[in-house]
Amino acid sequence: MLIRLDKTDTRPLHEQVAAAIRRAIAEGECRAGDRLPSARDLSTALDINVNTVLRGLRELRDEGLLEFRRGRGITVAEGAARRSGLEIRVRELVAEASRLGYSRTDLIEMIRGTTT
Amino acid sequence: MSDGDDRDGNDRYRNGGGRSRNGNDRAGARSRTARWGLAGCTVAVAALLAGLPWVARGRLPDRLATHWSGGAAPDGSMPLWEASLLPAGLWLLVALALSVRRRRSWPAARPWRAIALAPAAAVLVGAQACVVRANLDRTDWHEARDPALGVVLPLALAAVAGVVAWRLTIRTTSTTPPAPTPALDLPAGERLVWFSRAANPWLQLVAALTGLIAVGALVTLVAGLADPAVLVPLCAVCAAVSLAGALSSSVQAKVSEAGLEVSFGPLGWPARRWSPTAIESARAEPRQPSQVGGWGYRLSGLGTTVMLRAGDCLVVRPRGRRTDFAVSVDDAERGAALLNALRRRA
Repeated sequence: MLIRLDKTDTRPLHEQVAAAIRRAIAEGECRAGDRLPSARDLSTALDINVNTVLRGLRELRDEGLLEFRRGRGITVAEGAARRSGLEIRVRELVAEASRLGYSRTDLIEMIRGTTT
Repeated sequence: MSDGDDRDGNDRYRNGGGRSRNGNDRAGARSRTARWGLAGCTVAVAALLAGLPWVARGRLPDRLATHWSGGAAPDGSMPLWEASLLPAGLWLLVALALSVRRRRSWPAARPWRAIALAPAAAVLVGAQACVVRANLDRTDWHEARDPALGVVLPLALAAVAGVVAWRLTIRTTSTTPPAPTPALDLPAGERLVWFSRAANPWLQLVAALTGLIAVGALVTLVAGLADPAVLVPLCAVCAAVSLAGALSSSVQAKVSEAGLEVSFGPLGWPARRWSPTAIESARAEPRQPSQVGGWGYRLSGLGTTVMLRAGDCLVVRPRGRRTDFAVSVDDAERGAALLNALRRRA
């Protein structure tokens, strides 16, 4: 799998790690059930502290994209490809809304008001 | 004179378009030459083996002493015709057995064939020379004395012949031009890393089974239930096979700004690393276990190959080396492309 990290990005590093892996899953770099490289390997390859990498991975687990299994390492969850695509678009939507001056609550209200 | 030069130039010009065909022709001619050269050498060695006793037959007894069991006195003999034809026949059998192409997928020119044949020829010729030397000017084969260098000379010759054959063949196989190297667009300010792995479930199974046998043998040994003379070697062999199987049953490859890292086994140890500057070129290439001599960590005419499954291999040529390092991993094309891009930027 190929992982891309933007060096000019100013977001916190753990978010960048999560975003990079989310993108890799959405683009089909790794399929459901595939084992991810270990956090240590990711940390040395990306030149990022291993705890930061683990924080990013835990975020993805909480989103339901990854599964942590004892003895089997970290695997990509079932249906993660579709879900990660959606997660990326939700993030884009939130960023766009905040740029235009809408708060998250406004956004939630707008989503709730959408009937279709 | 100028006419000839002109024609030559024209030919060169015309051939410029079909360089690949030309290259194929040259490679075909080279392999044909190699094949005939090998056949000629085989016949020459057979003639030497058969002819050596015949040339000296005026100074040899009727039967030749051909076998010594440690002592100075011989304990085996052969008539002259047998002593001359037996080694030659043996040699031809060996050469024939090594020349048979058992698989269609095997390349016609296999460098290890010359590497195997050269020491065999050296041993046979050396032994034959020693036999003739020991029997020279004797009236009866019982008088023949064990040649002092009877064992050392053939083995030394074999070692020299093996090394010479290895140096020559490895050089010729490595002169084949490498395939075009893929490259990836590497945007500035972006960090790319590539991970891949491959595993062989059969090797894992073998490692697990032999590991179980080793543990079982160890427990039996500790309990004192069976003869240690049988169990100690069994335990040691199974443990060694299990360890080797476990280490070569899975492999991980990683390409990052630090270069290429290939690590073996479930623990990722041992590992081999190359920085981007230490690599001359990288490419992807399909390889079969039959080409490299089986599964696992293989040394062959193609260089070193970590072969876990047939198919795509990531092949790198380390700088300053004449042979390649290959590892069978998925998605090798992009790994090679990233490695080339990193190498160019470094």
